[in-house]
Amino acid sequence: MSMEDYDFLFKIVLIGNAGVGKTCLVRRFTQGLFPPGQGATIGVDFMIKTVEINGEKVKLQIWDTAGQERFRSITQSYYRSANALILTYDITCEESFRCLPEWLREIEQYASNKVITVLVGNKIDLAEKREVSKQRAEEFSEAQNMYYLETSAKESDNVEKLFLDLACRLISEARQNTLVNNVASPLPGEGKSISYLTCCNFN
Amino acid sequence: MDCRAAVDHHVCNGVCGCCGALRPRYKRLVDNIFPEDPEDGLVKTNMEKLTFYALSAPEKLDRIGAYLSERLIRDVGRHRYGYVCIAMEALDQLLMACHCQSINLFVESFLKMVAKLLESEKPNLQILGTNSFVKFANIEEDTPSYHRSYDFFVSRFSEMCHSSHDELEIRTKIRTSGIKGLQGVVRKTVNDELQANIWDPQHMDKIVPSLLFNLQHAEEAESRSPSPLQATEKEKESPTELAERCLRELLGRAAYGNIKNAIKPVLIHLDNHSLWEPKTFAIRCFKIIMYSIQPQHSHLVIQQLLGHLDANSKSAATVRAGIVEVLSEAAVIAASGSVGPTVLEVFNTLLRQLRLSIDYELTGSYDCAVISAQIIKEHEERMFQEAVIKTTGSFASTLPTYQRSEVMLFIMSKVPLPSLHHALDAGKAGENRNRLTQIMLLKSLLQVSTGFQCSNMLTALPSSFLDRLLSAALMEDADLRLFVLEILISFIDRHGNRPKFSTISTINDISVLKLKVDKCSRQDTVFMKKHSQQLYRHIYLTSKEESNVQPHYEALYSMLALISIELANEEVVVDLIRLVLAVQEIAQINEDNLPVYNRCALYALGAAYLNLISQLTTVPAFCQHIHEVLETRQKEAPYLLPEDVFVETPRLTKSLDHLVPEVFFRQSKISEVLGGSGYNSDRLSTPYIPQLTDEDRLSKRKSIGETISLQVEVESRNSPEKEERAPAEEITYETLKKAIVDSVAVEEQERERRRLVVEKFQKAPFEEIAAHCGARASLLQSKLNQIFEITIRPPPSPSGTITAAYGQPQNHSIPVYEMKFPDLCVY
Repeated sequence: MSMEDYDFLFKIVLIGNAGVGKTCLVRRFTQGLFPPGQGATIGVDFMIKTVEINGEKVKLQIWDTAGQERFRSITQSYYRSANALILTYDITCEESFRCLPEWLREIEQYASNKVITVLVGNKIDLAEKREVSKQRAEEFSEAQNMYYLETSAKESDNVEKLFLDLACRLISEARQNTLVNNVASPLPGEGKSISYLTCCNFN
Repeated sequence: MDCRAAVDHHVCNGVCGCCGALRPRYKRLVDNIFPEDPEDGLVKTNMEKLTFYALSAPEKLDRIGAYLSERLIRDVGRHRYGYVCIAMEALDQLLMACHCQSINLFVESFLKMVAKLLESEKPNLQILGTNSFVKFANIEEDTPSYHRSYDFFVSRFSEMCHSSHDELEIRTKIRTSGIKGLQGVVRKTVNDELQANIWDPQHMDKIVPSLLFNLQHAEEAESRSPSPLQATEKEKESPTELAERCLRELLGRAAYGNIKNAIKPVLIHLDNHSLWEPKTFAIRCFKIIMYSIQPQHSHLVIQQLLGHLDANSKSAATVRAGIVEVLSEAAVIAASGSVGPTVLEVFNTLLRQLRLSIDYELTGSYDCAVISAQIIKEHEERMFQEAVIKTTGSFASTLPTYQRSEVMLFIMSKVPLPSLHHALDAGKAGENRNRLTQIMLLKSLLQVSTGFQCSNMLTALPSSFLDRLLSAALMEDADLRLFVLEILISFIDRHGNRPKFSTISTINDISVLKLKVDKCSRQDTVFMKKHSQQLYRHIYLTSKEESNVQPHYEALYSMLALISIELANEEVVVDLIRLVLAVQEIAQINEDNLPVYNRCALYALGAAYLNLISQLTTVPAFCQHIHEVLETRQKEAPYLLPEDVFVETPRLTKSLDHLVPEVFFRQSKISEVLGGSGYNSDRLSTPYIPQLTDEDRLSKRKSIGETISLQVEVESRNSPEKEERAPAEEITYETLKKAIVDSVAVEEQERERRRLVVEKFQKAPFEEIAAHCGARASLLQSKLNQIFEITIRPPPSPSGTITAAYGQPQNHSIPVYEMKFPDLCVY
């Protein structure tokens, strides 16, 4: 029995224009529900979910930020400590796609350079209103070297996959880092605090 | 130790649950505090045992903590919230009971538990966790803790501050908890240099906006009406007040180096939430900041605000106006400390913004290159300009006297004036811009000079300042002239007599005015010796202007009256009487073809002033003469008295051609009656003639030829009538030459000047001397310009061609040599 209730801890921050469905994605993933008429997020929202991947407990700290411009400064302050960013846009809203380069600039400016960014096109349940083609988005994400996924928070399409894939990538990233710098310094995503590391391994 | 811990765990893992009796003692003690039924609450007696054990064996504390937290995490996972609360209570009690040095071992597991509670979605657990954290934060530890991170706490508490829980009551509770938690983090970390630096932007950018967010929703919270019973308690707990208290505490602890990181998020928050307009919240914020910050740092806040103003140069005028208003409020609070070491920089920024605004207003866009990206609202720019001027005033009011005069000098130096060596922007647009700039800067100057009480006119109005100011007095623009007069008046008036002369009238007994008069000091006498002629000349020339309206005459009257009260000795009185008589002559001879109104106004002005001065001198015969003339006017020509002229609809006459000589004040008569009372009758009987200078001509934009002929005309007109003219007053080549080589006077002046310089360098502060040198540098600049001017132009031949040379538009681009020396060269 270990002191910790998890093996890995990752901080994930959701960003993107207002109204693209960030909160709904998080809700769907953490609580399994789709709240109709979800209001605009104020400042930041926080959720936690522990998942098991290959027998390892991964705790995901999810920070859901407000898309509104007026909260930009406080949301930016959350980028810094993020291990992964989920950059969301609405496939039925050209404008939210066109803002992506701006968001990438913000990431560049405020997030750590080791951060993993995933591009998510949400609301694929509204296929008939689609304004941004999948191909275009794929091309864009490829050019930016991002992982791309289309989801529907409403229909729960790809939501689990999004977070679980991300968790997997974060784990492998963390492992790689452990190999690269084999020092006992705290690593991004390594959830165990140093003093208990030995006893965990002992058991 | 690690080894032992490992063994413990091993034992625990292997045996745990099989045989309770073999468990270590601390585990048994911990287990015993939990009742069978969580409803029963903490088992008090057993808790006492545990506490006693912990106190007697503090080395066990870490294991007690670890075990407790293990249980708690398990209970949270199994939704046994009753036990969670009990565990937390036990933790709190242990924390309180144990003394500082041993706490350290325990804190890690404690914080883990708090974090676990904060991770929960259940508001109750979040609040429970926060409360424990706050208790912990209030314990002062004396052992440093090296690797303790509060990142998660700051993030989570900030998030809680923004809670949007559906139920209002719960939302308020969560937000309140969030604020308390932040307060706790601040308390815990602020004084501990080894810990995470709470002042780092990554933390400040979360903490400050979260507090402001709650602060700004005061109205929202107040609008709901809680039942009166709850009101008091709610008020105590209102997030708004709590946020304010927390913000004050935070800022009060900010050291010099941290101010910037703490204030920047405030500015950004106000930007993002568009809170500069309406500015009530912004002002409230900065009031809180200014009152809670350590006073020696307040100038840093001002600097940041100024920097922010600069950064917002291209924002809407309302935003800029908001920032400036906030600056003005903040400056007053910071009082003497507001400006800090960079006095001129503050004013420079304000004036720069003023000029930018004028440009925006005139060009109609923020950037010439961008084609009307944003439409500029003229009235908003105007409002902004007024705000800047007001702010300039409130800054200046916080300064000590010597710095104030320095600032006035600085503002004056920024006023674009036509001078011999520096051409202004030509063209219609340039002229317009100059005029607006002049008006705005003079307004600022007026704002700065009001309420300015200098003990020494000589230092308050150095010649470099006075010269520029007076040359502005001769501008064609009536508004500008009025500003200059008002500025001069506010300098001269040091006893608050100004309002008593705001209207022109002939009062029978001036004692009703209750004038406050001090004896003219020695320095003032020196000042008048040095500058009186200049002042007179400008009063004389200003009164000649055709575009004068009532306020101008009123200002002239105030000025004459105030000089007589503040700065007069016998000689000055004599000169002033001569001056007023000369002004009467302007109206009488009317060579400038002034309209009837202006002439009547000049007569009335003279009457009012002579009435005043006669009563001030208290020479009976003088009063008698004045009285007689006034009576005659009353009967024959009431339109020459202020009571008829300076009213809403002046009662004027059609023609002033056939006036009887008795309505005029006579110089010969006055000199006779005053001479009898010991005044210098020789001087008195000499009519006053102003000496025109190059400067006058230039600012009037009249050609030299014209002015010379004018002068000759004045002379020729005057000479046949007044035989008693002293030769020295005749303007001839000889006089001019004599004036130049008048070595005695020059020597005396030189001596005085030297004395002043020595005194200045002995007494003045460094900045002042530097500023003085700066002024000299500009003198050098102008000399250089002059030299270059000469070298690139053919020397003007006498008479006619000069006119052409001055008249020609000088809109060539600025060559290298005309570039200003940077101010830094001074140091």
